[in-house]
Amino acid sequence: MSLLEIQSVSVSFGGLMALKRVSFALEEGEIVGLIGPNGAGKTTLFNCLSAFQPVSEGHLRYSGVALETLSPHQVAALGVARTFQTSRIFRRMTVLEHLLVGRHLHQRTDLWAAIARPAWVAREEAEARECGLRTLALFEDRLLPRLHDFAETLSYANRRRLEIARALASEPRLLLLDEPTAGMNPHESAGIVQLIKKIRHLGISILLIEHDMKVIMGVSDRIVVLDHGEKIAEGLPEEIRRNEEVLRAYMGRRYGRA
Amino acid sequence: MPVYEFVPRRENWYVWLPLLAALVIFPLLVRSEYILSIAVYAGIYIILTSSLNITNGYTGLFSFGHAAFYGIGAYTAAILATRLGLSFWLTLPLAGVVAGLFGAAIALPTLRLTGIFLALVTIGFQEITFLVTLNWIGLTRGPMGIPAIPPPAIGGVALSGNLGYYYLILALDVIVLGLLSRIVTSRVGRAFMAIREDELAAQSAGIPTFRVKVLSFVIATFFAGIAGAFFAHHARFVSADSFRLDETFAILTMLIVGGMGSLVGPVLGAVLLVVLPEASRFLAEYRGVVYGLILIGVILFRPEGLAGVPGIIQARGALSRVDESSGAGEPVG
Repeated sequence: MSLLEIQSVSVSFGGLMALKRVSFALEEGEIVGLIGPNGAGKTTLFNCLSAFQPVSEGHLRYSGVALETLSPHQVAALGVARTFQTSRIFRRMTVLEHLLVGRHLHQRTDLWAAIARPAWVAREEAEARECGLRTLALFEDRLLPRLHDFAETLSYANRRRLEIARALASEPRLLLLDEPTAGMNPHESAGIVQLIKKIRHLGISILLIEHDMKVIMGVSDRIVVLDHGEKIAEGLPEEIRRNEEVLRAYMGRRYGRA
Repeated sequence: MPVYEFVPRRENWYVWLPLLAALVIFPLLVRSEYILSIAVYAGIYIILTSSLNITNGYTGLFSFGHAAFYGIGAYTAAILATRLGLSFWLTLPLAGVVAGLFGAAIALPTLRLTGIFLALVTIGFQEITFLVTLNWIGLTRGPMGIPAIPPPAIGGVALSGNLGYYYLILALDVIVLGLLSRIVTSRVGRAFMAIREDELAAQSAGIPTFRVKVLSFVIATFFAGIAGAFFAHHARFVSADSFRLDETFAILTMLIVGGMGSLVGPVLGAVLLVVLPEASRFLAEYRGVVYGLILIGVILFRPEGLAGVPGIIQARGALSRVDESSGAGEPVG
């Protein structure tokens, strides 16, 4: 059984079909790249997977569990974490607090424990902090020196890194990355490629939306191509590179024929 | 460390312990019933402002009905004390529970609404509560109010002067602020703040945002009810006029002037705006002008208030421009 199975998923906004019977699967440990021109439905698919967007038809199975009937926090609890295309950081919370929020699912301090403060609460907090610091170490010296800074004071690239760090802190099995290198310079993008490789070594599977072909070709095991809500191709990076249909979708009809 | 990050802990005893000691000996030095009564009111407003800060400051919910829950607490205590003869020590927690139950009843259907819509519903609830207390004569005696509420008794001795009330509210404030500081520095408090900052991202981190928002609302209304019970046993008379929309705005003003999203802010705001109108009595009819100027000055020059989290006012959806992080949906791409 695949870790993630997307079975003939359709989403329509009124008359507009954002996704038309899209199917593909992602195996445990795999990195699958999701590409396509703007408006192809990539982010819509992410929103379906994280339960922000109901599917009109079809099924989403994550290690056998149907995702389409769950709410976003339940999907997160199953071990599916995501980042957003426009980074959604907690502007007036510190870097460390982001990591602690990322640990939310692994903690159990409720209102009563917060008030009574039995000894395990302090242990749990120390543990979360330690795990947060371990996660931040993946980003070398980018975030660690800014532990107590508000997120809104971070640079653009660091905000994007922080969002990935928050997602990683929850120790997901599947990570959905929505254009992690958007707006980054080539040097920073290369850093993200390194990071993605490190994340894979942690045993985390990744579904990656990306426009930077260098990044997508460099890290993906397989690539799925969407255009106008339909899957037009799926295969190994070198197959996709040569696929006529893909070239046509990206470059226009004339280029495809030539 | 900035003031808005201050939380009383064992390690920083040298900050809060001298302050607490000063507050304990303060009445022995002033010995004025008038000054003590002002201090008692400041103590009540510290609870009201700090509890409103849980929803409006930490969680980013727009509640405009805090005085209604304050009133529900006050009436609960008044009715239980005068009809059933319950003592202050029982009416105090019960008033909190009843106000919290009303809070849950309002929160469950309305917290799916956001920003300005939640504000409208809470204002509506405020008005409904006022009209019900004014007209349900069988329960509340309507416009006649409820008089002769017995004072709290400690060890069988009923409090008579403001000195006793002063120490009682001081103890209550210490307990309430202690509880609130434990809540906001925990996983629960972080969930509140995450929802304030970005509800979608909070959900993606596994926070059940609806449930957490209801919890925030219930905590805020519970403590408003506690403040109401103290008020009822202190004033020994309650009537519907004390808990109208202008009271909600008074509490909200204290919160904004003091600063949202911090523990210190609401305390400063409550003390300042209770003491200031009294201290400026010599200005006679210019008093209101001075009060207004101070408010405008704070909003213009220090929008986060005296000790609020910087930026907390601007970046909130309904009061300002819709910024990129508050849009509901992700662009399709």
